[in-house]
Amino acid sequence: MKTIFISLTVLLTLFIASCRKDEINKFDGPSLAENYGKFAIIDSLAVSRDSVDFSAGETVYFTAAVNKTSDWKIKITGMSSGAVKEITGLGKDITLNEATWNGSISQFPMFKSEWCSVQLTFTGEDDTLNKMVKVIQPKVNQGYVITDFESGLNSGWGSFIQSGADMDFQIHTDNFAPQQNAYLNMAGTVNWDWLIGMFNFKASADGHVVFPLNANPNALYFNAMVYGEPGLINSLVLFRFQEDENADGTFTAASEDEYAYQVTVNWVGWKLISIKYADIESLVNGSPVLPNGNQTHNPDKISQVDMLHLANPNSGFASAKVDYLIFTENTPLIP
Amino acid sequence: MKNRTYYQLVGIFTLFNAFLSLGQATTKKVEFVGAARSEMSQLGLSTAATVNDTITPGKLSSGHALIDLGVKITPNSSTEILGMIRINNAFGGFWGSGVTFDVRQLYVRGVVANAFRYQIGNIDYKLSPFTCFNHDADRLIPVTGVQRIKQDIVDYETFHTKNNTWRQQGAAVDFGVNFSKFVESIKFNGFIMRLNPSNLGNVFERFYGGGNMIVTQSKYFSVGINHASAFDLIGSATTANAYRNNVSTVTYQLTGATKKWKAQLAGETGISSSFYTNTTENTLSDFFVDGKLSIAHKPTKLRADVGYLNVGADFRSIGAQSRRVDFSRQNTVYERYTNDQVVRPLSTYDLFQNNVLYNNSIAPGLAKHNVAYNNVLPYGKATFNRKGVYTSVGFTDSTGIINAQVDGYFLSEIRGQGTLNLRKFAMVKAVSAVNVHKLLKWKKDVVFTAGAAFQETKRSSDFVFERIQLASLLYNAGIDLEFADQFHLMLGINCFQVKGNESVADRDENDVVVNFNEIHLNGNERIYSTGVKYDFSDKIFLTAMVDWFDFNYQDTTPYKMNQFMIIYSMKF
Repeated sequence: MKTIFISLTVLLTLFIASCRKDEINKFDGPSLAENYGKFAIIDSLAVSRDSVDFSAGETVYFTAAVNKTSDWKIKITGMSSGAVKEITGLGKDITLNEATWNGSISQFPMFKSEWCSVQLTFTGEDDTLNKMVKVIQPKVNQGYVITDFESGLNSGWGSFIQSGADMDFQIHTDNFAPQQNAYLNMAGTVNWDWLIGMFNFKASADGHVVFPLNANPNALYFNAMVYGEPGLINSLVLFRFQEDENADGTFTAASEDEYAYQVTVNWVGWKLISIKYADIESLVNGSPVLPNGNQTHNPDKISQVDMLHLANPNSGFASAKVDYLIFTENTPLIP
Repeated sequence: MKNRTYYQLVGIFTLFNAFLSLGQATTKKVEFVGAARSEMSQLGLSTAATVNDTITPGKLSSGHALIDLGVKITPNSSTEILGMIRINNAFGGFWGSGVTFDVRQLYVRGVVANAFRYQIGNIDYKLSPFTCFNHDADRLIPVTGVQRIKQDIVDYETFHTKNNTWRQQGAAVDFGVNFSKFVESIKFNGFIMRLNPSNLGNVFERFYGGGNMIVTQSKYFSVGINHASAFDLIGSATTANAYRNNVSTVTYQLTGATKKWKAQLAGETGISSSFYTNTTENTLSDFFVDGKLSIAHKPTKLRADVGYLNVGADFRSIGAQSRRVDFSRQNTVYERYTNDQVVRPLSTYDLFQNNVLYNNSIAPGLAKHNVAYNNVLPYGKATFNRKGVYTSVGFTDSTGIINAQVDGYFLSEIRGQGTLNLRKFAMVKAVSAVNVHKLLKWKKDVVFTAGAAFQETKRSSDFVFERIQLASLLYNAGIDLEFADQFHLMLGINCFQVKGNESVADRDENDVVVNFNEIHLNGNERIYSTGVKYDFSDKIFLTAMVDWFDFNYQDTTPYKMNQFMIIYSMKF
């Protein structure tokens, strides 16, 4: 009886063990052959279209395939603008899902209507694959553009520029622009006042009483591109938003809200600054205070946006550039 | 002011005496249990003269005195309450600084209606090797000689018992039913532990519970059903994706005996599933088989086992696979060295004496292991992705002079890692103890102990980058010589060496293998130690000991350590 029992148990054990599902064709983790085997291109770089009109909502994607999982990088460079877009990934196959380009950038400037070089490289490998693609029209960003300075100074704007030394408070048109061709240069030495110069962008200059913006301050973002000069960190750019709360066509500082966003320009090069309108405070001399009006952010009542270039009068020459002042909805600007 | 302090002291003393008198008067209503220990240590670290190290101090001194004072209250014959506090005073503290008070243990246990035993609070618990079991995977062979004293302290500090239990907080109950026919008895055990509390945010309240039922038909046959589940309490966190781990097993034991022979067939077989409630991703389920045939020859006290183990690659059991040593932790003494302040790697020497490296919690996720120290069964017998045979031969001399055992494991992977080629594992370990005093018929103890463990991991392939060849050898020897009444001279040596390469799996937060790290090991570690111990009794000793440790690995700055320690220990 015991012998039968023991035999049955042994047989049952072996039977259960033999029930294990087939693991012969399975392994855990990435293939070592892929990781350590010799790298090879299976399918060369291909572009889904030779030219693309981003302004019409078109996109372009890139495909390629290699024999092992690799860190890859596609670098798209504007031949005229020098704009750069980088798309990176990890894998063997580069497809529509991983490598679609909608005209956006990774670093300024923004793309123009131009030919772009497309370069695919793999970390640790020498192989480089190249293609070209033509941008017929660059990407158009959704939002309300206060100004991109492409049409020069608007006669409806107000301005005040100090008569300091080395003053250059004007629009420049060259390849230095992060967006299209024009930008505003704000430079000079004013050793008696913080203010170097200012512009008043009035809604009336665009034919509006107030800017046609979303009423929800949590869904509205203010964006601008600001350039910091090498070796200079004394520039302050102050944006002021004046709300005509009583809709009388005039902003009354004593009884209506004015919000301000002060940017210390302590970087070098172009930088996109974005802020949710609801996060903008009311400032006096850089310190937060309660606004004088209904103390509620009403972006649909903004009648004027001021832009001031400030610097400590003892700090000498100050210089900054700005471009592409734009309000966007729901998200910050994705250039 | 002086009078006030005097009266306060007198009051406290009187109360304490009254409390003691109460304990004595009402025999065993109140008992004091616990342990006390005092340690003084001077530890030194040095590197070769060619190594640039002007930052690391050459010597560190430390010491402390501690008492674990437990009050065991027995309000009636069926109830016992234990509360134990720890008072720890680091030497060098002044006016009470450096003194800490901790609660070390709290429980209530007893018997209900002379039938149900229960314990609530801190419980030391285990179920079966594949459900709830604290495998001591990194201690392949017993520690000998002087190092044993340090290891015992680490075990005490980390609540590690010889029974491979987990110290957790929860409740346990057991009861049994005896029968007169067909079945001898049925025993039931149940437990529930709280593994972690909710943070009232995204962390769930997690519990671990289960139990077993063991049916003993006779002394020849018993069978048991075991179940353990870890589960997040839905509703205790803001998220709804709760973790589950279920393990169900059957254990059995068949015993047969003649006058000269005894044979036993025992084993455990079961299934596991591990998943999150709101997703099918990372769902794992698998099964295991473990069976062992043991034969013992009674006249010669020879015994031999042969077993078969098959644990699926996706078998997960958090109660059996949570590791004691967590190799992702860092040393707390000489954490860094050299002028570059590189992290000092964990060593066998640290494992003997640094309880911070030990994990006391049952938790999901596969804790890191050191492939050099144990690559064959890093999660004990519950290591997943292993199949093969194991065997053991042992001998215990009837006169108590010699005790020896040799174990061998010859396993392979079930599923490859990064390749279809499978690793093959071999581990052979041997331990022996010789009571020389019995052999020579001396009255004073002379005990010689020795052990060795050899491991090898191999993976063959046509591709060089898939090949693995890793071998390690751990061996130790110690002698305990009682040179005068209760005075012991102890000598010990503990050596480890490893050479070869491995491809260590890099896992993400869900334990999915995402990469492999190629490592090459070539090094050795040696500990020489000696000491003198005086036994006041079985539970009280005073010892002075010295260790010399040598750590020498390729691609790591070699160093030497030495330590002088005085330890006074008592248990009461």
